[in-house]
Amino acid sequence: MSQALRREIDELAAAAQTFRAQHQPIANLAYPAGTRLAVNLTVDFDAMLLRRLMNETPMQLAKGEFGGRVGIWRLLELFKSHQVKATIFTPGRICELYPRAVQAAARAGHEVGDHMWEHRVPDDPALERDHLTKATAALERLTGKRPVGTRSWHTQKLLLELGYIYNSHGHAYHNPYYVRAAPGEQPLLNLPFHYAIDDAMFFSFAWLGSGNAAQRITDPDRVFALWWNAFWQQYCAGGYLNVVVHPFVSGRALRIAMLDRLIARMKSLPGVWFCTCEDIARHCLNVAPPAEV
Amino acid sequence: MPWKDGYTISDEQTIADADLRWPHGHRCCVCIVVDLSVANGPEGIRAADLKSDAAEFGAHDGLDQLLAVLRRHGLKATFAVPAVMARIQHRRVRALADEGHEIAAEGFRHEDVSRLDRAEEATRLALTTEILGEVVGKRPAGWFSLPRRDDPFAGGAISAHTIGLLREGGYAYMGNGLADDIPHYWVTDFSAQQALLTLPYYYHFDDLFFTMFPAKGTGLENPDFLVRNWRQEFEAQYGRGRYFHMVLHPRGSGWGHRVQMLDDFLAFMRGFPGLWNATGAEVAAWWQQAFPAHTHLRLEPSVWKDYPGSLS
Repeated sequence: MSQALRREIDELAAAAQTFRAQHQPIANLAYPAGTRLAVNLTVDFDAMLLRRLMNETPMQLAKGEFGGRVGIWRLLELFKSHQVKATIFTPGRICELYPRAVQAAARAGHEVGDHMWEHRVPDDPALERDHLTKATAALERLTGKRPVGTRSWHTQKLLLELGYIYNSHGHAYHNPYYVRAAPGEQPLLNLPFHYAIDDAMFFSFAWLGSGNAAQRITDPDRVFALWWNAFWQQYCAGGYLNVVVHPFVSGRALRIAMLDRLIARMKSLPGVWFCTCEDIARHCLNVAPPAEV
Repeated sequence: MPWKDGYTISDEQTIADADLRWPHGHRCCVCIVVDLSVANGPEGIRAADLKSDAAEFGAHDGLDQLLAVLRRHGLKATFAVPAVMARIQHRRVRALADEGHEIAAEGFRHEDVSRLDRAEEATRLALTTEILGEVVGKRPAGWFSLPRRDDPFAGGAISAHTIGLLREGGYAYMGNGLADDIPHYWVTDFSAQQALLTLPYYYHFDDLFFTMFPAKGTGLENPDFLVRNWRQEFEAQYGRGRYFHMVLHPRGSGWGHRVQMLDDFLAFMRGFPGLWNATGAEVAAWWQQAFPAHTHLRLEPSVWKDYPGSLS
């Protein structure tokens, strides 16, 4: 009896150890001289694609359309006014819906990264490869530059094969870290983001299928306070912050005003490095490459 | 570009702040919508909804409070009224129109039309137009399909036919769309370049979602969130010279502390010069003249390609 229970512990411990072995944190990430922390402003430009994918109603699609018609342009204006560079994670299909916005983002010096072909990763490996290849090509065609970063659930091996140097999702650590799909495999850098620093969690009704009693739609002041605290804690720690916004959410005038105040306040402190995800990824790969396993 | 059926309803880019104009050099348009529906679910107004304290309060005490505040600030509103409510409250609705407010339609009983066939929806739409015309003395120019409390999404439910039927039914505008924060054209037929003017709606400015939402007793009371949303949206849109709207329910915003917050907000708002407080019909008339579809709806054929293994 107790032996069976001990075996249960061994199995659970093995699961934890395997997962641990897949993750390799970057201890004491050294920044360029004068930098205290890096801030990645990341924009998930899915507009209505996820709504379409989930077969939602016409009004839900229109809610997403705001991101392409209005929101993305306001975010680009906001970044320009602060002279900061951002990363726009863009599904391939968006290149066919809002080509001018994608081109404008690239021309302004922002990084345009992959956000899946149509905001999903097919189970079938051949179709997955087809989707990622199409998305990569669509972005390259419009921006003139092959994307090196993604925010997706794509198979890590495929991402590495197609030349991607980082993914940005998950939050196993505050700082960037390396992930191996399985122990011993080639690692991929992850630039973590936390759902608490994601505008959709606070402002988008029915996000991720949540029911009416689970709604948490709130006002910009509350989110400003939460995000400022998250920034300040990492500023003091000399860490990293990834702020996730969606054009159909944060492109609303009241939230552009909130982000304007937030970025201005961050900029009032010395040593804040507003960089693209590619910038910080190349920096990490350069100063803290993954250890051989 | 882009015109992609099933994805987008309008053209690629909004009108820039600098290109917007309001009548007589006004700086910002302010549109106040009052929802007189007491429907909670997709079936629309039921007898049980009418036999509720919320409905009784919204029809009398709450509406009185709301109107007193609007009068004090000299503001006009557009009332979204289901045909059923127009019949039940016909004297009141007529009096609202006589006071200078607009009466717009909100379905037969504010029911979900998304699963009706086209003929059935057309019949209901025509009857609604007729009943509102009888009660008010003139046919409605606008149509609303505002969200109900128990809807799974906060945007309002329409069918694939609704916008086309409204256009055919002689409506000047659809009152709630989410693709922009200014009036915009909802395309119903790309090849014929047919579209219906749509006024902006966003649930963050609708009291429904902040006043004991979703249900009395177990819901969350966050009118302070709502007022901060109103204030910050108003300041931002005023600064851009665009459009500010709010949606009020007498059963929600007519109550005690909430009506006081509304009063305070409207006093704050009216401190800004150059506001154009218009009804939906006035906005629509201005828009058709200043930004007509034939010059301002810039539709180009889609470059979308269908691929096996991708959504079309």
